[in-house]
Amino acid sequence: MTATSTADHQEIIAGLTYPTKRDEAWRYAPHDVLGQLSFGPSVESIRQLPLALDANIPALDGPRIVLVNGVVDLGRSELDALPAGLRLSTFDDARRDQPEKLAVHFENDADLATNTFTAINKAFGHNGAVVQVASSHAIEVPIQIVDIALSDVPATASCSGLIIHLEEGASATVVETRIGHGDFGGSNTRTTITLGDQASLTHIVLQDVASTQVHLGRIEATQGAGSVLRSHLFNLGGRYGRVDYDVRLAGEGARVELTGLYFGMGNQVLDQQVTVVHAAPDCTSRQSFRGILDDESTGVFNGGIDVRPGADGTDAEQSNDNLLLSDRSEANTQPRLEILADEVVCKHGATVGQLDGDALYYLRTRGIPEAEARRLLIGGFADQAVDAVDDEILRIWITERLQRHDA
Amino acid sequence: MLHVNNLTASIGGTPILNGLDLNVGSGEVHAIMGPNGSGKSTFAHALAGRDGYEIAGTATLDGVNLLDMEPEARAAAGLFIGFQYPVEIPGVNNMYFLRTALNSVRRARGETEIGARDFLSVAQEAMDLVEMKQDFLHRAVNAGFSGGEKKRNEILQMAVMEPRLAVLDETDSGLDIDALRIVASGVNALRGPERSMIVITHYQRLLNYIKPDFVHVLVDGQIVKSGDHTLALHLEDHGYADFVNHDLDDAPERPLSGAVR
Repeated sequence: MTATSTADHQEIIAGLTYPTKRDEAWRYAPHDVLGQLSFGPSVESIRQLPLALDANIPALDGPRIVLVNGVVDLGRSELDALPAGLRLSTFDDARRDQPEKLAVHFENDADLATNTFTAINKAFGHNGAVVQVASSHAIEVPIQIVDIALSDVPATASCSGLIIHLEEGASATVVETRIGHGDFGGSNTRTTITLGDQASLTHIVLQDVASTQVHLGRIEATQGAGSVLRSHLFNLGGRYGRVDYDVRLAGEGARVELTGLYFGMGNQVLDQQVTVVHAAPDCTSRQSFRGILDDESTGVFNGGIDVRPGADGTDAEQSNDNLLLSDRSEANTQPRLEILADEVVCKHGATVGQLDGDALYYLRTRGIPEAEARRLLIGGFADQAVDAVDDEILRIWITERLQRHDA
Repeated sequence: MLHVNNLTASIGGTPILNGLDLNVGSGEVHAIMGPNGSGKSTFAHALAGRDGYEIAGTATLDGVNLLDMEPEARAAAGLFIGFQYPVEIPGVNNMYFLRTALNSVRRARGETEIGARDFLSVAQEAMDLVEMKQDFLHRAVNAGFSGGEKKRNEILQMAVMEPRLAVLDETDSGLDIDALRIVASGVNALRGPERSMIVITHYQRLLNYIKPDFVHVLVDGQIVKSGDHTLALHLEDHGYADFVNHDLDDAPERPLSGAVR
């Protein structure tokens, strides 16, 4: 199978079935909504972007690639005057100039049989962005990838891809914004990250598609020795908003920090399925996910730590804290630990609670009206996830977005 | 200024305050002392408006009945409660909290809100009063604070809020001698002809630093004896036994004693 063989993949798709409630990783998904989705090859959108969407694209200077319905939109992208060591290109460019870069994205088939939507993404997600940083280069300015799903055709969801490759000793920040507009459809995105030895990537994902849409996101990372991945997810949008992480610590002493915030309202289902594989000795992993669930929303955190034989000296921690704002909202949390090595430190903990009545009372005795006191406490809970973002401009951008969510 | 008349409070049918009467004039400092379980904290939280009590009677501050109001409205009316167990609020910045609190009561009173820069000087003055360093403002409210820092933060809030009536619930509990001195000197600096205080304490020790105009002994939810500061000295020597006709239960009060007794 080659990277571009759509026909082969369509054959595979023909044999695939959608997951059901019996699949543990899809237990809480709204299967009726998923069942209405259809997928097809990407087609360039002829529509103007709705104005409301422009406002959702972060006003950050610097390099940017914009995808609309899975097709790179060069007109909205910013690819000039890139800093030394940074190469930004499209899948089409890579197919022509460096097809080997696509291999990691398309030829990793281990998961195909079990993940229908990954298979669909591979079949149709033939457009995308490639971010490469040459060895020992530090890119200071954040690199933006904006993925926009417009519902041009009923129920059709777009497929797109992103490849991030940092060579040895390189460092960069990549910000992915996934937005959409329309009454149906949504996006199916797949990000593959490879970090060379000692490379360092800060990765921020804002999932913010329309509340009528579906987002299925998958992030796969493979880390070399001593590399550091810090990925911060803000999972806010969609009738069903889902992001899967599959991180493989392949080189000795690698470190991954995954933080997430999901904030559900209405009948949203916000789902995070995380697996970190410790495949080398002395690696460190941190998973810290927080959920705020209002109305009839549902949050899902299914977090795995998989320590392979020989991964001695593993240091792994996982936490999941949930705040239920309504008696109709629901948090589902599930740790999965599999430890097959020695001298392993592995901690996990989960909480599900409501707003602290004592804290609410305390704030009100200071004259703060109840509604504002609630907002303060909710903001305080969320801030503990936002604070993981080091860059102040990005932190303010996320905070402003959350304030709109809360209003 | 404050008139408490026949105040009763019970939780789930269990009476805690049994007809409490108290009058506090402008600028006066009253101490309320009593054994554990006598209803001291319940009195503070009944005034402040904590949920979960069945309340009867009246408590008027400057002529308005506090007991009819939401907790935030009581604050706007000029009431401040210093908590025995200040609540930790992770993620909420102390400075932002203080400014939100001050501006909330100003808004409720129809006053203009205070801007960030002007607030900084208000906060700085309050911090000097309780000998707090700048980084104190940038930490989350009470989160990870030591016992002494929490109590100093209460006094800091009182200084910022400038209440008509401050009720300080066991502000001395858990303080070492240095923290006690700082807290007491902060309280003394905030005394004035327009501000009254009720200092609730189990021990006489605090009253060496904050000299009250009146001392009341609370037993079984009623004030059984009132006097001047010499009454506190009498209690120091003789304990509460003179005023109690049953065995004293010396078990320490639990956190949130107002709610659980």
